[in-house]
Amino acid sequence: MRPILAALLAIAAHAQVTYNDLLKPDPANWLHYSGQYHSQRHSPLQQVTTANVKKLTPQWIYHVDAGRRLETVPLVVDGVMYFTNPNEVYALDARTGREIWRYERQPALQKGPNRGAAVYGNRVYIGTPDAHLVALDARNGSLLWESKIAEAKEGYWSPAAPMVVKDKVIMGIAPSDHGLNGFLDAYDANTGERLWRWHAIPRPGEPNHDTWAGDSWKTGGGGTWLTGSYDPELNLLYWGTGNPAPDFDGDVRKGDNLYTECIVALDADTGKMKWYFQTTPWDVHDWDAVEIPVLVDANYKGSPRKLLVQGNRNGFYYVLDRVTGEFLHGTPFIKELNWASGLTAKGRPIRVEGVIPSLKGTKTCPATSGATNWMSPAYNPATGWFYIVAQEGCGINTKSRDTFRPGGNSYMGTGYIESPEEPWQMYIRALDLTTGKIQWEYKQINSRRYAAGLLSTAGGLIFGGDDQGFLTALDAKTGKALWSFNTGQQISAQPMTYAIDGKQYVAIANGSNVVAFALHD
Amino acid sequence: MRKAPILCVLAITCLAQQPRQRGGRRVRFDPVEAAAGHEIYNRSCTMCHGLDGAPGDRAPALGAQRRYLRATTEDIQDAIKNGIKGTNMPASPLPEADIKKLVAYIHSLRATAVDLDVPGNPAKGEQVFQAKANCAKCHMVNGRGGILGPDLSNIGAERSLAALREALTIPKPIPPRGYQPAKVTTTNNQTIEGIVKNQHNTSFQILGADEKLHLLTADQIKEITFHPKSLMPADFDKVLNPTEFQDLLAYLSRQARSRR
Repeated sequence: MRPILAALLAIAAHAQVTYNDLLKPDPANWLHYSGQYHSQRHSPLQQVTTANVKKLTPQWIYHVDAGRRLETVPLVVDGVMYFTNPNEVYALDARTGREIWRYERQPALQKGPNRGAAVYGNRVYIGTPDAHLVALDARNGSLLWESKIAEAKEGYWSPAAPMVVKDKVIMGIAPSDHGLNGFLDAYDANTGERLWRWHAIPRPGEPNHDTWAGDSWKTGGGGTWLTGSYDPELNLLYWGTGNPAPDFDGDVRKGDNLYTECIVALDADTGKMKWYFQTTPWDVHDWDAVEIPVLVDANYKGSPRKLLVQGNRNGFYYVLDRVTGEFLHGTPFIKELNWASGLTAKGRPIRVEGVIPSLKGTKTCPATSGATNWMSPAYNPATGWFYIVAQEGCGINTKSRDTFRPGGNSYMGTGYIESPEEPWQMYIRALDLTTGKIQWEYKQINSRRYAAGLLSTAGGLIFGGDDQGFLTALDAKTGKALWSFNTGQQISAQPMTYAIDGKQYVAIANGSNVVAFALHD
Repeated sequence: MRKAPILCVLAITCLAQQPRQRGGRRVRFDPVEAAAGHEIYNRSCTMCHGLDGAPGDRAPALGAQRRYLRATTEDIQDAIKNGIKGTNMPASPLPEADIKKLVAYIHSLRATAVDLDVPGNPAKGEQVFQAKANCAKCHMVNGRGGILGPDLSNIGAERSLAALREALTIPKPIPPRGYQPAKVTTTNNQTIEGIVKNQHNTSFQILGADEKLHLLTADQIKEITFHPKSLMPADFDKVLNPTEFQDLLAYLSRQARSRR
């Protein structure tokens, strides 16, 4: 009977995405960078299970001619897949991988990566290497409008996937490493008009401006280069902010350097900040705190709380109350951490003397690449565990006096190398949501650098990938690998899942391709 | 930049599926010099090249809708003055001033419509586009209009004036790829009419006249009827009076988003 059902469903064609759809996505669709507003990256789809995942086979591969290291998360709306490459958007038949249309921005500024799109109404939104927000017609890829976010010639660009909240497109900016101040914007989803801007670095006269010595705030950094989360009930956006600049030379910017290295809660209507929590005050290791804040409603010490959790690049796992920003708990999720001996009752790191960049180099664990990075974590409500990609290893961090040069030049105050004594090693780890205690770990043998983020499914699976190109399905309860496939190219993107006519697919960008898997019929 | 498709089996297919010029670079030339160069060209170069820049018996077209290796003033000048080694292209004995005019003419052959100051009233042309010619039913310009036909927001920077005029007056022998009109009957007897965005033995992607995407697998399809002709009318020189037609050309030739 399946073909008839399939035909009926297929004729019910691709429809417009409403705000209600964005609030409660049909599990068959994948409408947000992180799946849903809460960014749990957990799909209720359960056709693929721990019992049958062995039968997962590639259904199609789409090759992007100009693709190199795709970091895009595909979106799926009623059987149409949208994914991005810098300056490009592709619309595919998600069942067959056949191209429907493609958009190519001209002239194209060559800069990457691009991490994905947002969808709303009949529109697809992307950020561009020349720092524009672009709206396309989802049906044929026609350019509807574009809004300049910032000056590309100053060095700004927009790699993050936008997020649509009500009639607004929320869009961040990169980078922090050029001494450019970050912000978060909201644009009218219909016209592209900018509605508000939140400045990551307080200007003179604003609260916390005095956390910057002298004029250092002018080149303070605090980019917003990854997509955040949203709580519709509280109407709050949660976004992580990037590092202060110059990255490694903190001497020229004494103070806490707010609001770099923060998780901030902003009113979605006005952009007004409700609270902030700073993970690394006066960061000197380039540990952008942009990692995805995951929103979970759960019991904390016996009472129900609206929690926000984040595995931070500085090595700590944080549990916050997302109504107030109150720090509840924090614990390292890596074993090699030498820069702080712990956290205070308020969540402020207790710094270890001397673990700051120096002229001849200081061993710093985690390395600047971080205990984790842009790889998305996942939360499975069934296990109650938070899953994260972790890197164990140290760096040798150096500093020197840098001069800010406008025009997109790097302003880092020198850098880091991998420690020759502790080679990096990648893991997937399951943490207890509220205690952060490691439940299991899966060592990605021979993988030292970041690759894929994670996807959790109701089939009891965690999907992850590694720098050698393997996409792997783990048992969410045990961390045991149940299935693995060599995609042939390094993975640098996040897996996602969708369904068409009752058939579940798992897809991921790998290198220059997008590949989709499903159970062998 | 994407590469243009290299293989075209039939010349006619090439023409229909010819990729648009991306129109990033502006070609500058003096129209008076170009007109003079036209005369010199027809007098001096057509032993091998064709008349008016067309392909000739012994040498290629200089004004074809393709990318040319020698596109800059310096490169074209060099080819005329010094010939092209290893080919039949000889060094020209023409005086420097004539070569300059020839270069202007070759630029004009390759210019996109926006490079010319196409006469007519663009504002009135827009009204023709929206109303009498009904172009906006299928074509979008700057975010407004239909979606069945190609977006024309940059057409003036992608096509020559001759190609624009041709598109409005000469029916395409076959519909371009991505714009083939078709009617599909599914196995459960639903019909969808629209344009084919993509197809293969195994699946079919059609943008319906309802302006929705319909994605079908082969086993869902009972019958597909392809309409032999493009939906694009090609009688605008008859439907519109000469002034309206010229105004429409003036409007279309100025649609050049990539030049802004």
